[in-house]
Amino acid sequence: MSTSIQYLLRRLGFYAIAAWAALTLNFFIPRMMPGDPASIIFARFRGKLNPEAMVALRETFGLTDEPLLGQYFTYLKNLLSGDLGISIAYFPQPVTEIISTALLWTIFLAGTSLIISFSLGTLLGTLAAWKRGGRLDSFLPPALAFFGAFPYFWLAMVALFTFGFGLGWFPLRHAYGDAVTPGFNLPFMIDAIYHAFLPALTMVMVSLGGWMLSMRNTMITTLGADYITFARAKGLPSKMVMLKYAARNAILPNFTGFGMALGFVLSGALLTEIIFSYPGQGYLLLEAVRAQDFPLMQGLFMTITLAVLGANWLVDIAILFLDPRTRR
Amino acid sequence: MKDKTFKMFSFHCVHQYILKLSSAVLICFILIFNNCVQHEKTTGSPPFVISQEQVSSFVRNFNPLIPSGSSRWPTVSGIYEPLFIYNSMTGIYVPWLATGYEWKDGNLQLDVTIRENVTWSDGQPFTAYDVSYTFNLKKTNAALDPRASWGYLKSVEAINDHLVRFKFLRIFVPGLHALTEQSIIPKHIWENIDDPVKFTNPNPVATGPFTEILRFDHQIWELGRNPHYWQEGKPAVERLRFYAYPTNEQATIALINGEVDWAGNFIPAIDRVFVGRDPENHHYWFPRVGGSIFLYVNTTKQFLDQVEVRKAISLAINRELIVRVAMYDYTIPAHPTALADGLAPWRSPTATENGDWVEYDIERANEMLDNAGFKKGPNGIRLLPDGKELFFDISIVSGWSDWIRAAQVISQNLKLVGINTRVKTRDFGAWLSSMQNGEFDMGIAWTEKGPTPYRLYRGLMSSEFLKPVGETAEVNWHRFASDEVDSLCVAFEKTSDKEEIKQIIYRMQEIFVDNAPAIPLFAEPSWGQYNTKRFTNFPTEKNPYAQISPNYPPENLLVLVNVEPK
Repeated sequence: MSTSIQYLLRRLGFYAIAAWAALTLNFFIPRMMPGDPASIIFARFRGKLNPEAMVALRETFGLTDEPLLGQYFTYLKNLLSGDLGISIAYFPQPVTEIISTALLWTIFLAGTSLIISFSLGTLLGTLAAWKRGGRLDSFLPPALAFFGAFPYFWLAMVALFTFGFGLGWFPLRHAYGDAVTPGFNLPFMIDAIYHAFLPALTMVMVSLGGWMLSMRNTMITTLGADYITFARAKGLPSKMVMLKYAARNAILPNFTGFGMALGFVLSGALLTEIIFSYPGQGYLLLEAVRAQDFPLMQGLFMTITLAVLGANWLVDIAILFLDPRTRR
Repeated sequence: MKDKTFKMFSFHCVHQYILKLSSAVLICFILIFNNCVQHEKTTGSPPFVISQEQVSSFVRNFNPLIPSGSSRWPTVSGIYEPLFIYNSMTGIYVPWLATGYEWKDGNLQLDVTIRENVTWSDGQPFTAYDVSYTFNLKKTNAALDPRASWGYLKSVEAINDHLVRFKFLRIFVPGLHALTEQSIIPKHIWENIDDPVKFTNPNPVATGPFTEILRFDHQIWELGRNPHYWQEGKPAVERLRFYAYPTNEQATIALINGEVDWAGNFIPAIDRVFVGRDPENHHYWFPRVGGSIFLYVNTTKQFLDQVEVRKAISLAINRELIVRVAMYDYTIPAHPTALADGLAPWRSPTATENGDWVEYDIERANEMLDNAGFKKGPNGIRLLPDGKELFFDISIVSGWSDWIRAAQVISQNLKLVGINTRVKTRDFGAWLSSMQNGEFDMGIAWTEKGPTPYRLYRGLMSSEFLKPVGETAEVNWHRFASDEVDSLCVAFEKTSDKEEIKQIIYRMQEIFVDNAPAIPLFAEPSWGQYNTKRFTNFPTEKNPYAQISPNYPPENLLVLVNVEPK
């Protein structure tokens, strides 16, 4: 067991270095973009603001001419104390406040659809491989591959147009309706699910095929292994052979993939969120980049980085339990 | 045997079960949602739905002083009010929280009379002391003074409850505009605020027609009437409602669906897309009160630095075609003085006559370029003295499809006079920085706006904001300066005499027309759409009491107090 802990700690050290590198890039890359936030805000007024306003704008945002390296150390120091600064586009809202609301909606929408798509895809892949050449196996993979080939924003637009605009079955925008008050109440929760249905559906449709195919393919390889034949020969119930012997081993690559995808959930389904006016992280990121809102960009990239690394670490732990070989 | 049962389970049950479950869930949602909608429709009078800001979620910020535009739209056009409102349709300063002003002491002192019987929305009386407090707060916080008023002000003092005295450091008559349009804040609230720059003012106390926040969620919020509003019986509208539409497409869909009562969007083919949907109630009006849209040419580049060349380029441009192809005929080709309809009374007859270089005349353009000594090479492209072919980029922001089409027309036009160009699209930040740093050849952009043409010509031709190539210039991207314009600006700043002002503006126009520092393309329309299904008394072409576009605070106050429910 001590070797396992050693392994986890070693991984943790690696993640710490990766986090530092990512956070450093977070700081420097946005600043390499041409232009500065005050000029961009000034230009957005398209002539309605005098050039004299630039002094006031720079003063407001606290933009300094301090050397970049000095700013970098202040940034690191603030990060360690949990201070992500004040957003420029949403001045004077603290970045943490803006991100926290968007984060919840993104986790809800992208997280739910990822879990649905992963579990459904893995299950279908298992079933398809178990009964190779059956109806499920011959019909579903090509159909899902067909949907998976669509860019998901395109599918989202078609869904919005048909079911939202044309038929009027689903709302056209937002995460909840006007009639409900956000909070821990049933009408709000039902409304939130209703609003998330169409965007989540399009995301599941597109990603389902990938999970199913990869599961099916690994499963087929696993089913050819000697221990499966042995398990069958032992006369174990076929359900047990399928799930405990074949699927448990075949799920490992999918599980790693799930960890990766879990991390990327936080970057938000950018285009889906834009199409459905969903108030999540993805759209926020786009706005931040457009306005050259350095603090907001840094905050968003940081949450994404930490989520990816954190999810990977969790997968490392999970694999430790699933796959005894890593425990050696 | 077991295998068999499992197969049955997997292939029939799972399939059927999922199908049944999903359809049941679907029907449930639709039923529940429809109930919610019906329930909502029965409560109260209809809200006046305005779509102006395009955001993914609202932030509760009602600070009228911060310059970044990050406070909610009605903050300076419905909640807080200025002393005067400049009406761009009539060209008149409408007395609002003030009733009159008077220049004294050779234009070094401005006395403003403050309206009586105005109360703040918390019931406290509004006085001249609130006005002086507002201006003095800007003095101590440079961040709150985007108009740099304290560059020419010496002091602002309340003489009594209804008189404020502005004393000037130097004579600066155009400063009047900035002073009149300042939103006034209540002293008794703001003097307790530690940092007015970072104050989000979640529950505004103000003098405007709408001050009460009835509801604030990230996707929707509502603003109710001021219980103490000073204009008897106004506003007629009970509450304003705002939805978060993140993109122009989303806002347009809502507008077409009749969910929005007042908006200021760009909509392609509006007659078919929007009006056609409900011709009786869906209306738009695009008065040309804004500035003009220009083709900027970098006057520091060889070839483009010559007046005759710039005029020839202008002559080669088919503005009628641009207006039709790029702007859906929503506007008209630019006037030679670049003054759009809103500033038309200022147009100088001499300048109008001399500005014949905004016509479309390929032949004359070719002739002028021949005379300037740029002969056509073997490919039909004109050559620089060193034998290189002319080649320029026309920079446009990527995704700004109307201007991209305009640039494509220009590019084709210029080929006919032997100038090779390429339309180059760039991201907004990159585009802006290249324009501001003077690192561009040609580009389409806007100009400064104001109640007189002074700001337009100052931005285009004075040396005040001129910067060398490589340094950021907020205006004057094309880098042109004239000493005469500089002295005209100084003269303009010192006079309040109407005839003298007119002569100065006339002279500026003549210099503009003689030098063609930038090439006007078409008048910039101000976008405004409205729906008369639930509300009426919007400004229209026949009843132009204000401009319709919600994009011009504080003028929008005039519309908000006049719109009525049907």
